Amino acid sequence: MISGLTLGCIYAALGLGLFVVYGVTRVLNLAQGEFVMLGGMLTVSFCAMGVPLAGAIVLAVVVTVISGAALYVLVIRPARNASGATLAFLTVGFAYAIEGITLLVWGWEYRSLTNFLGSSSIHLWGATIFGQAPWVVGMTVLMVVGLFFFFGRTMVGKALRACADEPLGARSVGISIEKMALLSFLMAAGLGAIAGATITPLTMTAYNIGIPLTIKGLLAAFVGGLNRAEGVILGGLLVGFAEALSAGLMPTGYNDAIALAFLLLVFLVRPHGLLPSRGGAG
Amino acid sequence: MTPIVARAKARASRLVPMPRVPRLALILLAVVAALPLVGNAYILSVLIKVGLHAVIAMGLVLLTGLAGQVSLGQGVFFGTGAYVSALLVLKTGVSPWLALPLAAATSGLLAAPIGRAILRLKGIIVAGVTLTVNLIFFYLVVSLSGLTGGATGLSQIPRLEYPRIMPYTTFVFYVVWLIAVVCLILSVNIAASRVGRALKSVNLLGGGSEDTAQVLGIDVMHFKVAAYIVAAVFAGVAGSVYAHYTSVIEPHTFSVQTSVLVAIMVILGGVTNPWGAIVGSALIVGLTEFLREVAPIVLGGPTGAYELVAYGVVLVATLLFLPSGLCSLPARIEEWRRGRRL
Repeated sequence: MISGLTLGCIYAALGLGLFVVYGVTRVLNLAQGEFVMLGGMLTVSFCAMGVPLAGAIVLAVVVTVISGAALYVLVIRPARNASGATLAFLTVGFAYAIEGITLLVWGWEYRSLTNFLGSSSIHLWGATIFGQAPWVVGMTVLMVVGLFFFFGRTMVGKALRACADEPLGARSVGISIEKMALLSFLMAAGLGAIAGATITPLTMTAYNIGIPLTIKGLLAAFVGGLNRAEGVILGGLLVGFAEALSAGLMPTGYNDAIALAFLLLVFLVRPHGLLPSRGGAG
Repeated sequence: MTPIVARAKARASRLVPMPRVPRLALILLAVVAALPLVGNAYILSVLIKVGLHAVIAMGLVLLTGLAGQVSLGQGVFFGTGAYVSALLVLKTGVSPWLALPLAAATSGLLAAPIGRAILRLKGIIVAGVTLTVNLIFFYLVVSLSGLTGGATGLSQIPRLEYPRIMPYTTFVFYVVWLIAVVCLILSVNIAASRVGRALKSVNLLGGGSEDTAQVLGIDVMHFKVAAYIVAAVFAGVAGSVYAHYTSVIEPHTFSVQTSVLVAIMVILGGVTNPWGAIVGSALIVGLTEFLREVAPIVLGGPTGAYELVAYGVVLVATLLFLPSGLCSLPARIEEWRRGRRL
């Protein structure tokens, strides 16, 4: 159960990154996993340079956010009127470039971080869990609370939502769509980097983890419905639990295939997500 | 002959038009026939890779360029072709030449239900779902290790029977490019046929509309699935030939990475043009070989890194500056020159 929750939180965090970009700009950002990978790699490197953990995470987030800005300014903005497929492939191109550069800089080795509090496992109600798991869960909860506060209570958050619901109307009341689109990419990169730093002690990181992570995040977003944050979180948890449960019930190897197939089936049966679409948002 | 019969006959002849054979395809065939006389074994092996990827990419051109469905999962059918063909020969001892069509047919049969299930979805979501299907396929092949050899794959797959007057590489080179030319001619004819026009009307990317097509009485779903099956058969043929060429197959060859790479080839060459598949495949395979052989020696660093960066840069540059692909380049240059003269 706990491992399902932890996995679920990882995928929910990925799904949220996808949701922030898709919700505002309708771009399916297939480079979201790369942000997570970068966040992890950079944190490891800054730590190795002797920067304390908290500082390393902040620096990693800053650098990743800059890469998010690069994605929007250099790749997405010049083609912002293109079709959804073109935009998605542009993010694929960016993902490849990031992967290649990472491989050049860091090599192909897997890297890890020590757990944030040092202890490698915790005993809780008779179960042994990884010491990092509470951090992953806590990070996701913080992200969710932060995002709900941001979208629901702040002016900028409301402006972002306006862009998502009614771009023309948003522009007519003086919201700069371009600034909001840029902001959504920055936020996705930042969310990805924080997630990357937090999961690295648990899952390790390497140049090629980005694409599989993106796929899991996509699945979470599809299953839950990419139109609502609640849906994405629910989807992420479902993906995590399906994976953990099948790992417990079936021989290794099959579990990944079966969990994915089950989720795909759920999506095909309910293509608009598990939660009813909010009026107009679909 | 009553007028009705005459009309029916006229219609029938329109339904089965004379196949068009583009002159360029014949030129390509001549070049292919002559190449082994000048190229060494390495060049031929690279060109075999180009040809195999071009065949898969041509399937994707039909699916994406004509029917407007973006698939990032052609690796599934490439892999199905390879594994079915290899297993048929290894377990039952039939000739690889018999296994080839059987494997291709299996790919097509597998594509029918998958296509029915996922092509109900619209737009870019299809790409995400095909990506997931590819990942499931990969996990399945790895875990069914009793049958597929798991992560290490299958080895000692028998070769296609061939006349011993030439080296095997040369023979496979001829086979691959003969298949490529046949697929090319098929693609050109499908695009020009009634089916092709129906598909184009479905294609949102090309300015068509599914809803309009539906209203006009075109069974949209039927045509989309048909395109998906044809693309799968192309990939299955390529997979079978690949298995009997290398005699070793492993799951990684049919992973998401390969599927995405094939999609990149199609975009580079031009989504709507079967020739684009060949151009894009040649470009990506050539770039990969060049960077793999040369860049780590000249610049240092791990193998495989430069090609990833190159794929990214080439893909982004094509989409931004030449969205219709390299095949549209002559037309664009012509346009530009005419513009300057005015």
